[in-house]
Amino acid sequence: MKRFEEIPHTADWSFRAFGKDLRDLFENAAFAIFAMEGGGTPSKVTERESTRKVDVNGIDYESLLVNWLTELLWLQESNHETYHRFQIDSLSLTELRAQIFGAPITQLDKIIKAVTYHNLKIEQTMDGWEVIVVVDV
Amino acid sequence: MITKQNFERISDDVWQIPQSFRYDMRAPARLYASEDLLEDALQDDSLNQLVNTATLPGIVKYAIAMPDIHQGYGFPIGGVVATQGPDGVISPGGVGYDINCGVRLLASHVSADEVKSYIKDLATALYKNCPSGVGSEGKVALNAKQLDDVLENGAEWARKNGYARKEDLQRTEEYGRMPGADANAVSKRAKDRGRDQLGTLGAGNHFIEVDRVAEIFNAAVADALGLFPDQVVVQIHCGSRGLGHQVCTDYVNDFQRAVREFKIDLPDRELVCAPLSSPEGQQYFKAMAAAANFAFANRQVLAHLIRRSFEQALAGHVNDCDLHQIYDIAHNMAKLEEHDIDGKRIQVCVHRKGATRAFGPGSHVLPDDLRTIGQPVLIPGSMGTASYVLIGTVGSMAQTFGSTCHGAGRVMSRSRAKKQVRGEQLRDELASRGIVVRAGSMPGLAEEAPQAYKDVSRVVDVVHRAGIGRKVARLEPLAVIKG
Repeated sequence: MKRFEEIPHTADWSFRAFGKDLRDLFENAAFAIFAMEGGGTPSKVTERESTRKVDVNGIDYESLLVNWLTELLWLQESNHETYHRFQIDSLSLTELRAQIFGAPITQLDKIIKAVTYHNLKIEQTMDGWEVIVVVDV
Repeated sequence: MITKQNFERISDDVWQIPQSFRYDMRAPARLYASEDLLEDALQDDSLNQLVNTATLPGIVKYAIAMPDIHQGYGFPIGGVVATQGPDGVISPGGVGYDINCGVRLLASHVSADEVKSYIKDLATALYKNCPSGVGSEGKVALNAKQLDDVLENGAEWARKNGYARKEDLQRTEEYGRMPGADANAVSKRAKDRGRDQLGTLGAGNHFIEVDRVAEIFNAAVADALGLFPDQVVVQIHCGSRGLGHQVCTDYVNDFQRAVREFKIDLPDRELVCAPLSSPEGQQYFKAMAAAANFAFANRQVLAHLIRRSFEQALAGHVNDCDLHQIYDIAHNMAKLEEHDIDGKRIQVCVHRKGATRAFGPGSHVLPDDLRTIGQPVLIPGSMGTASYVLIGTVGSMAQTFGSTCHGAGRVMSRSRAKKQVRGEQLRDELASRGIVVRAGSMPGLAEEAPQAYKDVSRVVDVVHRAGIGRKVARLEPLAVIKG
C-alpha cells in the first residue's frame, strides 16, 4: 500500500496519506511530513538514531492527527532532528501515545510551518483509511 | 463547483455570488477582478473558499476577495470579512498563521544612478547583516520579561531600545503597537519559538528588496510622501515568524472545542471561530495583537539593520545614506474598526487575510501629515518584476471596509515552480537584467519565480479602476535578499 501521495496546491503543500488501519494512517501521515520536507529523499543525517516519546490529546481523530503532526514539527524545530520511523503504541478518540525515531540533521531546505484543518476528514475506504492534509509552508 | 455563470456582474471589476447560491451563506460573496483574473480564480479552490467565508456568523454586507485571490486554507488569500457583535465572530484562520505578515517601505535621499556602482556591496551587506533562511536566529537577545515587553509594546519597545525613531512609529499602521495585546494570552511554546527570532527575515516569500522608483502616477501624493523619480527605496516583507505561527496553531486548536460549545456549524474546520465578545474570542484577540506587535518589532529591528547596511556600503560614496520610513502595513490581521454601514457608524471586526488596510483621506487614525492624503499602501510584486505604492481612498471605505489587495497572488504550485525553474538560472537571468540576488536557498528562489505569480500590474489596475486604492508609484528591483 502506498504511504502517501502529494497533491498540487497553489501556495502551500498538500498530501493524501493512506493506512490499512488508523494507527497505520497516523504513522504514514507523519512519514509524509518529513519525506516532503526532505524533497522525497532523506535529509542529511549525521548520527545514530534517537528515540522520543510523544503523548498528545484531541477532541476527535482529526484534531488528534493535527496535534500529532504539530507536535512532531515542534520536536523537529526545537531538537534540530528529522524523524523517519513512527510507532503508535495507543490511539483512542482523545489520546495518542507513540515513540518516534530520528536523528540530528545538519541542514533543512524547507520546513512545514503549520498543519491546517482545511478540508480535513479521515475517511474509510475499500482498502483501509485515507486523509488529505494541507500544510502551511 | 463554482462557474462564471454563478456570478452577477455588479460593475466592470466587481462580481457577486448571491446569498441564495448556497443554503449556509449568511451574505453574498463579492470578488474584485477583471474578467481574465476571474477566469484565473476559477482554476483553483479559491472561490469556493470565498463562498465558505460568507457563512461566518455576524458577517456584515458581503464576504470580499481581492484580485490577487488564490487558494489558501479556510479563507482564500485576498479575503476580507467584517463581522459585527454580539454574535459576530473572530476567526484565527481569517488572520492567518503569519500574523501581521506585512511590508515596510524605507526611502533614501539618493538616486539609483548615484549608487549603481555600489549595489553589489549593498546587497552583500544586507545579506550579511539581516539574518535570513529557515531556522535563522536573530542578534537581539531577549529574556522572558523583555519578550513580554515586545509582545505588549511592539515598535514602542524598539524605540526605547534604540532600534526605532519616533518618526518610524508615526509612519506605521497602529503606530507599531496593537492595543489590547496581552503576553499572557501567548503560550509558552509560542514564546519559545519566537525568543531567538527577533530581527530575522525568515524564508519562503519573505525578502528585503532594494528598488528604484521607476514611474510616478500621482506626483502630488508622491511628493507629499517623500518619493521622487529614480529614488532608491527598500522594502521589507516579513511577519511574526514562529511565534505568530504557534499562536494561530494554538487557537485554531482551542476553537475546535469552542465551535461545538457555541453550536457554530462551518463548511471547513479551518474557519473555526468564536464570538469576539466571548472569553475565547477575547483571548485570541489579545494573543493576535501580541503576535502582531512581535512582527512590528521584527520589521523595526530589520529596518535598523538595513540602515546600518546602507551606512557600511555607501558612507563616503554618497552625501546622505540615511533612510526614512514611508509606511509599514499589515496584510494578515483582524482589526476593530468603525465603518459607515447603511448610514450608521458601526464597530466591526475586519479580517484581512492577504489583504491590506487602505484608509482614505480624512481617517482620524492616520497621523497629521497623512490625514488629508490617505494611507500609503505597499504592494510587493513578484521577484524581479515590479512593486507598487498606492494610496487609500474614500472608495475603499465605502466598498471594502477600507481594504485593498496585498500582492501579486500565486498561480503555480511551489513544486511545479521548482520543476520548471532552476534557482541558479533564475539568479543569473535576474543578474543579466541588472538585478543582484543574494539568496540562501536555490530551490527556495525557484519557488518564488515570477512565472509562479499573477502579473501584479493587472491586480493593481483592478483596484485602481474600482477606486479601492489609487496608484502612486511603481518600483523596480535593483537587489533582492532572501533566505
